[in-house]
Amino acid sequence: MTDQNIIEISGVEKRFGTFVAVRDLNLELKEGEFFSLLGPSGCGKTTALRMIAGFQDHDAGSIRIAGQDMANIPANKRPANMVFQSYAIFPHLNVGDNVAFGLRKLGLGKVEMQNRVAEALEMVELGGLQSRKADELSGGQRQRVALARALVMRPKVLLLDEPLSALDKNLREAMQLEMRRLQQKLGITFVMVTHDQYEAMTMSDRIGVMFQGKLEQVDRPEVLYARPCNRRVASFIGGMNFLEARVRADNGASVEVDLQGFGPLTIDVNPNAISRSPDLLAGIRPEQLEISATRPEDYDASLQGIVSDIAFYGESVHYYVRAEGVEDPIAVAVPNYFHTVDYKRGDQVWLGVQNASVIDLGAREG
Amino acid sequence: MAGLLKSEAGKGLALSAPASLYVGLLVAGPLGILVAYSFWTQTYVEIDKTLTWANYLEAATDPLVRHLVLRSIFIAGAVTAATVALAYPIAYFIAFRTNKKTLWLLLITIPFWSSYLLRVFSWKLILGFNGVMNSALLSLGVIDEPLTFLLYNEFAVVLTLAHAWAPFAILPIYVSLQKIDRSLLEAATDLGCSKLERFIRVTLPLTVPGIIAASLIIFIPTVGDYVTPSLVGGSQGKMIANLIQVQFGPANNWPLGATLSLVAMAAVGVVAILFVLLATALGRRIR
Repeated sequence: MTDQNIIEISGVEKRFGTFVAVRDLNLELKEGEFFSLLGPSGCGKTTALRMIAGFQDHDAGSIRIAGQDMANIPANKRPANMVFQSYAIFPHLNVGDNVAFGLRKLGLGKVEMQNRVAEALEMVELGGLQSRKADELSGGQRQRVALARALVMRPKVLLLDEPLSALDKNLREAMQLEMRRLQQKLGITFVMVTHDQYEAMTMSDRIGVMFQGKLEQVDRPEVLYARPCNRRVASFIGGMNFLEARVRADNGASVEVDLQGFGPLTIDVNPNAISRSPDLLAGIRPEQLEISATRPEDYDASLQGIVSDIAFYGESVHYYVRAEGVEDPIAVAVPNYFHTVDYKRGDQVWLGVQNASVIDLGAREG
Repeated sequence: MAGLLKSEAGKGLALSAPASLYVGLLVAGPLGILVAYSFWTQTYVEIDKTLTWANYLEAATDPLVRHLVLRSIFIAGAVTAATVALAYPIAYFIAFRTNKKTLWLLLITIPFWSSYLLRVFSWKLILGFNGVMNSALLSLGVIDEPLTFLLYNEFAVVLTLAHAWAPFAILPIYVSLQKIDRSLLEAATDLGCSKLERFIRVTLPLTVPGIIAASLIIFIPTVGDYVTPSLVGGSQGKMIANLIQVQFGPANNWPLGATLSLVAMAAVGVVAILFVLLATALGRRIR
C-alpha cells in the first residue's frame, strides 16, 4: 500500500426515482489497498461499486480514478475491471478465449497474448486449462477464470461484487486467503462488495460499513470491531450485547457510568461514537464476559442471572443469561474447552466484566 | 403392465405413444407410399408396379426440374434471409428495449388472426396493376404509368412470404436473446467493448441457435410452398411445388410427382444441413 490515492469519491449521490440508493458518499482509497464495502442487502454498496465501474452514473458529486474525473468516461474506457457476482463467464468461449476477451482489443501480438493468458491462468492456479469449455468448470474454477479475465487487463483497480457468495463454506474460506495473497503480491487496489462480515474482516485493509445508502464508518477491521461508531455498525459486525449506561461523571477521556444490570463502571470515550448525551448506549462483546458459578473476583463489575438458552457452535458455546433489570438475555461466548465449562439451562450463574471491555456507542438513540 | 408404467422409461413411452402413433400413421405411412410410387411407372390409367429408376433418371436430366429446384431453393433462401434480417431487430427491441414484452409479442401474432390465403390475396391487392401501391403512386404523381415489376415475379413471392413468416422468425430469436444473462453484456463492456463490438462478440454468437431455428422453420416449408407462387408468383415465380402439383393433377403422372417430391425433400435436407454446419462454424469463429 502507498500513500497515493487511487480512488477519490466525494459527495456522490444516486437516486432511483424518489429512492435514494447512495447518499453523500465520500471515500478515499489508497493505491494497493484492499477495501471492502460491507452492509446488508439493499444498503447501496453494489450501486456504489457499479458507479465506480461506470455501469451506473451518479446524480451528484465526483468520482476520480488515478486522478482522472470519471464523469464523461464510459465503463469500457475506465482503468477498472470487475469480477461479477455471477462470474459472467462467456458460455460460447473456452477458458483461454474468456481470459483473452479483453486483450483482443489491445492489438497485442499472438505470442504475447498467449503468454499473458497463460500467466494469468497460472496466477489463479488454472495453468494449462485454456481449452476447457465454460460449461465444464466447477464453481470455484469459474470464480478463478473471472478473476484471471479481469487481472489479465492489469487494471489500476479491481472491483469485486460478492465474489465468493456462490461458493460453499470451505472453498470460500480457502479463496479468501488466496485472494488476499494475490492482491498483496500484485499490489492492485481491490474494492470488494460483501454482506459477509467475516469475509470483509479476514481480507480487507479497511472496511466501509453501509446502511440505507449511507456510509456509516470506515476503519481497519480491528478498530471496527473494538470501536464501532453506533448500534447499527456494532450489531452488524460480530455479536454484541447492548446495555443502557447512565453517565455519572464525565472525565474527558473516560466517563463514570451506571451500567444497566452491572452497576458502576468507568469506560473509555469512543472517539468514533459521534453524539454525546447523558444517557449512553454501551456494548459488550459476548467473548469479553466471564461466566462463573460463584461471584467472580478481579472483575470491575458483575451481575447474577439464570441461563435461559445454550447454543453450541463447535469452537465455542454461547450461553444466554437472563438477569434482573435487563430486557434481553445477555450472550456470553465461552471457548469450547471440552466441557470444563458446562452449565445447564436454569443454572444460577455470575457474569463478570472489565472496564476496558465495555464499548461506548454514543447516544442511545444513535 | 403396471410394472412398466412405474418405470421412468415406461412412463415416457406411455406419454409419447399417442403422438408417436399419430405421426407414424400420418407422416411415415404416406411417406412410405410416396417412396413406393417413385419407383413405379404410370401407364395411362394403370400403375405399372415394376421397380425402376426411370423417374429419378428423368428428374435428374430434365432441365426444367433442375431449374425449378434451384429457383425454389434460391427463393426460399431469399425469403429466409429477408425474414431473419427483418425479425432480428424486432426481437432485439422486445428483448432489450421494452417493458411491454407481452403486448409486443401479442401484436406480432396478429397476422395469424386472419387466414393465410386472405393475407396473400391482400398482397395481390396492394401490389397489382390497379392495386393500392400503383394508385397511390399515380395519384401522388410519382409515376406516370403503373409499375409492373411489383406483382407476378420472385420479388412478390419473397415479399409476401417474408411478411407471413415474420412471427416464426421473431419468436425463436426473441427467446435466444431473452436467455442471455445481462451480466455477460456488462462483462463485455467492462473488458473494453463498445456497444457494436459487444453485439458482434457476445450477443450475436449467443443467438446463433435462435437464428438457425428461425431459418429452418422458414426455409424448409418455403421450398415446398405452392399457394404463394401460384397466386403472386406469375410464370417467373413458379417453384418446384407447382410442378409437383401438375404431376398429381393435370399431367396425371403420380410416380413422377412422388419422385419430384422426394428430390425436393432431399435437396432441402442437404441445404439445411449445410446451413446448420456453416452457421455453427461461423458462430464458433467469433471470439
